[in-house]
Amino acid sequence: MKNIDPKAITVKKALCPFCSFGCEFGVVFNDFGITGVEYISKGSSGGRLCPRGSAAAMYLDHPRRLSTPMKKQKSLEWSKIVKELKKVVSNPKNVAVTFDRNITLEEYASIIGFCKNAGIDDISSTYFEPETNLRSFLPKAFSMTEVDDAQLVLLLGDPFNQAPMSSRAIIDWKLKDKKNELVVIDSINTHTAGFASRFMKVNVGTEPLLFFALAQEKIEGVDITKATGIESSVINDVSKAIKGVKKGLIFVCLPFAHTYDPRLYAEGLARLQSFSGMKVVPFVEFMGHKGNQNFASIIDKVKKKKIKYLLNFGELFPFYYPQMADDLRALNIYATATLKYDGYNALPVPLNLEKDGTIITTFGKKNLGGNIEPPSGTKSINEILSLLSDGRGKGEALRPPEKKVDVAERVRRLAEVSVTKKKNLRLVGEKVAYNFLGFFEGEALKMNPRDAAELGITVNDYASVTSKHGSVDLPVKLTEDVGKGIVAVPAETPSVKGLFEYLIDSGDNTINFIPTEVKICRKE
Amino acid sequence: MQKRIVLDLDLCCGCRSCEAACRVAFKGEARIRHGDIAGVAYLPLACKHCKQPLCLASCPVEAITRDENTGLVLRSANICIGCKSCAYACPFGVIDAPLVRHISQKCSLCVDREEGPRCVAACSSGALQWLSDEEIERHEIGMRMVSKDLFFRRKA
Repeated sequence: MKNIDPKAITVKKALCPFCSFGCEFGVVFNDFGITGVEYISKGSSGGRLCPRGSAAAMYLDHPRRLSTPMKKQKSLEWSKIVKELKKVVSNPKNVAVTFDRNITLEEYASIIGFCKNAGIDDISSTYFEPETNLRSFLPKAFSMTEVDDAQLVLLLGDPFNQAPMSSRAIIDWKLKDKKNELVVIDSINTHTAGFASRFMKVNVGTEPLLFFALAQEKIEGVDITKATGIESSVINDVSKAIKGVKKGLIFVCLPFAHTYDPRLYAEGLARLQSFSGMKVVPFVEFMGHKGNQNFASIIDKVKKKKIKYLLNFGELFPFYYPQMADDLRALNIYATATLKYDGYNALPVPLNLEKDGTIITTFGKKNLGGNIEPPSGTKSINEILSLLSDGRGKGEALRPPEKKVDVAERVRRLAEVSVTKKKNLRLVGEKVAYNFLGFFEGEALKMNPRDAAELGITVNDYASVTSKHGSVDLPVKLTEDVGKGIVAVPAETPSVKGLFEYLIDSGDNTINFIPTEVKICRKE
Repeated sequence: MQKRIVLDLDLCCGCRSCEAACRVAFKGEARIRHGDIAGVAYLPLACKHCKQPLCLASCPVEAITRDENTGLVLRSANICIGCKSCAYACPFGVIDAPLVRHISQKCSLCVDREEGPRCVAACSSGALQWLSDEEIERHEIGMRMVSKDLFFRRKA
């Protein structure tokens, strides 16, 4: 008989897959299971770990962890669901295959190869978040030490809250020399903005217009100050500063549903990059994979009843985008999942934390390690694919059609949207590491006190937030950090994420979440 | 006390990594809290392990004791009755009033961890530091709070 020693622990090294920083840490086990995380001082982040990394232990040990396939909320044997799936893929024209952001490069290659062998043509990524547009800026090898000799750093968004591991190098650099200029651009006042030498608070969603203006691009017929809310003298000052800088860096943390046109955001960044010579470094929640353009065509085929089944590989889709349920209602969905959710056929798979494979980070490719054993009953994506098809091969990368966008037209459209008076408040999303998947605390709605007073909302009240996709009750936090007419919420849980409106881009067919008009009333 | 948690206000970016590390390690207890002085600073509230702790004095069941050798002020989870007296007595507002598993959320400076408190290990910006009295003497800390000029203390 084994003697249990409650003090005996094992530490298994893991790579955090929850953002593009790729920190290393240890998961601590004792004889009773997971007890927490340990900070590995020799790791890439020097042992430091943001709330997402700390939450890894809670995710691994989540009470809703899925360990058997589920159909109509009932457990099912693997053999039965595999038999069903084999029948489904035997008619490939009826089937679409999607994959979300939580897959490794090897799994991606396997999925594409499986589709090629099975004859499935409708394949798409479900990485719908605006940051997917930043993928083209991924440097091959970036190191945070590059910050040390920069003269100017431009921070777009709120990296200190979204990817907190970026904070130390940037703050140390800022404190080292008073000449070092830190410029922050955002539409709400964030913790990151608190460290800025110069904070450019733009009107919601108008960052792309500001990028064009900073890059001295001519935008005919657009009053840039009216559209962005930034004085032209300030724009000129910053533009001169970034043009004259010997070495500068642009860090991008594009929050959820912050801009109306993420594609134009990426175009604007590219112009700013070529104007200033500054390197663009994206810090994003996940790096994801190319190809969300194809999803719009899948929706189209679903509406025409040409596709009847959807197979999704990853951890989150379709559970995290409930607003898509209407578009996907006609489908029979089989989705790999790590937690129990209602409404879809679910296949239990390991978390990224439990996988061995390669992911893309801001600092290049990294291996997940696969040191942690997944729950019994789960099958890896490659195992599932092997069960469905004997001749699984390696496919070529998905190459969605590249469509050029009419930048001038988009700029005019965005300028119009930004100055049009809105009837309702506009909801924007935030990505805050502490709110990761709602593990530590639920979302709270940030609201300007003047808006709150008009609606009879006071401190400690709850408010009903209603969009065309649904309604959620949230506690209200009154703050001047958000301007009048704007409300902000960390978009982490499906119920809150489900409020946001999505738009299929007419130019390149990508799906993006945008600032959303909401009605707000005090909850009695 | 050989070492203590020291906060460099210049560095704290308000990410709450410290609070998250604590909550994970102690099954939901946020033994370090996070305050926000609007527009001025972010303020992790760590227990100071006072020499004459009011939390100890207010505890009706002597669940909180002070170790004279280490200086640690510790709460016994077995004795605590969750009356919240300590939370209301703490002059720094460090002990959060809501109970977790019916007991108060009292910092132990991670006595179970040789390398020091987890909140310090996790701190993303290096604002929380684990320093001895001598190290503190040599260290300028938190001048941003008292200076009109941001980052005043770090001379170019």
